[in-house]
Amino acid sequence: MAGIFPVDVGPQYEGEVIRKADLYVEFGGPNVRSKFELVTLKGLDEVDNEKIEVIGPDMKDMQEGGSYPLGLMIDVAGEKLEKDMEPVLERRIHLYANYIEGLYHMNQRDDIWVRISKDSYNKGLNSLEEIGKILMFLFTSELDVIEKISITFVTDEKKVEELITKAREIYKARDERARGLREEDVEEFYSCALCQSFAPTHICIATPERVANCGAISWFDGRAAYKLDPEGPVQEVKKGDCLDPIRGEYSGCNELAAVKSMGTYNRVYLHSAFEHPHTSCGCFQAIWFYIPEVDAFGLVHRDFAGPTVVGVPFSTMAADTSGGRQVEGFLGMALEYLRSPKFLQADGGIRRCVWMPKEIKEKYRDAIPEDLFDKIATEEDVKNVDELVEFLNRVEHPWVKGEVELPT
Amino acid sequence: MAVTIVVAGKGGVGKTAVAALLIESLSKKGVVLAIDADPSTNLNLALGLPLGETVGKAREDITEAIQKGTLSPTVSKQDVLDMKIREALVESNKIDLLAMGRPEGPGCYCAANHMLRLTIDRLAKSYDYTVIDSEAGMEHISRQTTRDVDVLIIVSDVTIRGIMAAARMKELIKELRTKVGKIVLVVNRSRDGLPQEIQDAIQKYGLELIGVIPEDPYIGELDMKGSPLIELPGESPLRRGVEDIITKLGL
Repeated sequence: MAGIFPVDVGPQYEGEVIRKADLYVEFGGPNVRSKFELVTLKGLDEVDNEKIEVIGPDMKDMQEGGSYPLGLMIDVAGEKLEKDMEPVLERRIHLYANYIEGLYHMNQRDDIWVRISKDSYNKGLNSLEEIGKILMFLFTSELDVIEKISITFVTDEKKVEELITKAREIYKARDERARGLREEDVEEFYSCALCQSFAPTHICIATPERVANCGAISWFDGRAAYKLDPEGPVQEVKKGDCLDPIRGEYSGCNELAAVKSMGTYNRVYLHSAFEHPHTSCGCFQAIWFYIPEVDAFGLVHRDFAGPTVVGVPFSTMAADTSGGRQVEGFLGMALEYLRSPKFLQADGGIRRCVWMPKEIKEKYRDAIPEDLFDKIATEEDVKNVDELVEFLNRVEHPWVKGEVELPT
Repeated sequence: MAVTIVVAGKGGVGKTAVAALLIESLSKKGVVLAIDADPSTNLNLALGLPLGETVGKAREDITEAIQKGTLSPTVSKQDVLDMKIREALVESNKIDLLAMGRPEGPGCYCAANHMLRLTIDRLAKSYDYTVIDSEAGMEHISRQTTRDVDVLIIVSDVTIRGIMAAARMKELIKELRTKVGKIVLVVNRSRDGLPQEIQDAIQKYGLELIGVIPEDPYIGELDMKGSPLIELPGESPLRRGVEDIITKLGL
C-alpha cells in the first residue's frame, strides 16, 4: 500500500499497541467523555460519495500528547445492504482502523479509544482526513456491497455530545433487535469447552436463545471469540436439522455431544430439563431443580447460602448436578436464560417455577409474567415443601391449578 | 521478540525488590510490561509509579455486569475486558505497569480468566520484555496471564526453608500447562557468601544458582524516606547483583 497513503496499511498492524510515550494524540479513552462511532445505512441518493468531513479541530491543531473527543460517523449506501448489517459494518471500523500503521483502535460504540503514534504522524498521518481516506479505501475494496460511502469526523466536544444521544438510541434499538434474534434465524451455534477440565464430558452450547451456563458466553460472545481465536475453546457448531423445535433438539448439537462426551451422550435437549437435558459443568450460575411433590421446579443461584425449599443448599445440589452429566430434573444454567423466549419451554418454562430466592425474583422481575410474580414462593414465604404446597394452593399457582398447557 | 520473565519467591525474601531492579535495568534496553501478580500490589511503589485499577477489579466488574445482565447483548465481553485492561495499565516512559490485584472470590471465573489470558497475551506481544512479580509461584500465572515463560527467577533468602520453597515451586511447574524455558535461583540478602548447608541444599534439589546478592545497606535508607527502590545508587549490591544476572541470562 506504500505510495498511496502516508503510512503502511495491512493486517500485520493488528494488535499493535501505541504506548503513551509514543503517542501523538489520542481520541476517546478514559480521559475523554465524549466519544462514539456509528455506521448508518442510507439511501443511494442520500450519501455524498467519497466525501470526508472534519467538524472541529483536526490533528494538526491539537496538542501533542493530548486527549480529544471524537464522533466517527460513516454513512453507507448500496442496493444489497440491509439495516441489520449496520452493526457488522460498524465492527469493521475496529478491524480496518487497526490495519493502519501507528494507529490503534479499541472497543466500540460510545466507549472507543483511538491512538495515533508520533512516528506515523511524522510520516504524514497528520490529519483525520488521511485516516478517512484509508478507512474508505478499506471499506470499499473489502466490501463490494458498499456502493457509496461518506465519513465524518467530529472533534468539537459540544457537537459530539449532541450526536451521542442519538447514537445511544440507535445502539439501544439494536440491542433490542439482538434480543429478538431466534435460533431459527441462524445456522450456527457456538460451543464452549472452557470447563472441560472440570467436566470432561461437558460441552456448553450457546444459541441466540440460550446463553452458556456460566452466563459469560452469549451467542454473540461465541461468535466474537471464535473469530478471534478459531483454534480456541469456543467453536462454531452447525446446528443442522431441527429434530424437535419444542425441546430444542438439533442434529448438529447431538453430533457434538456425542464427540465431546466421548460417546456418553448422543442426544441433547436445549430447552428441557427432562430426558436429555443439557449437561452441567461446575460453573453454572444457578440450578433449576425438580420438586416431585408438586411436579414443578425451583431455582437457586450460587450466591444463595441458605437451604432451598427442599432442605439442601446450592452447594449440595451443585455436587449432584455438576461434572458434565445429564441429570434429569437438575439443570445448571445461566440466570440470563430466564429471559429467553424458549426458556425450558418444553417443560412449561417459567410458569412451572414455584420457588426461587427473593434476590433473583427481584433482579429478574422482567422475566417473570406479572400475574405469576406473587405466586412464586421465596425463602421468606415458605421453609419446606409442606409449606410450599400450602402456599401454592393458597395463591392458586397456575401450574398447580393445571392451567399451564405444555406446547406440543 | 518479547521475552517473559517471572520473578517468584515466598514472602519476605526481597522478590519485589529484585523484580523492580530487573524491570528498571531492562527498561534501558527496551520497553517493559511489568505485571504485579502479588495481591499486596506494591511493585508500583518500588518502581515509583502510581497504582492504577487492578485486573481483579476489572474481572469483578465484568462478572458483576454479567450477573446483573447490564451489558449490551451484542458487544463482546472480550472487547469490554480488553478496554478495561488497557485502562488499568499505568503508563510511563519505558515501563508500563499492570496490577493483578486480589485473586477471584467464589463463583465461576473460567470464562473471565480465559478472556484475561487472551487480553494479556496480546498486550504483552507489543513489549520487548514482560516481567511478572508473582508471590505464590506459577499457579495464577498459568491461570490468567501468559502461557509461556522464558525465564523463571526464583528468589530465596539464606535459609533452608527458602531453598526448599524454591525447589517446590520448581516441581509444581511440571504439573502446570505453562511452559518454562529456564529456571534459575537467586539467593538474596547473603551476609558472607553462602553457608555450606545452603550450598548442599541447592545441589540436592538440583537448582541452578545464577546469583548471590549481598544484603543491601541502601535499601533501608530508601524505605525510611519512602523513596522508590529504583533510586538505588550504582554501587548498590542489589543493583549490581541484578545487572550481573541479566548479563548471565543474556537478556
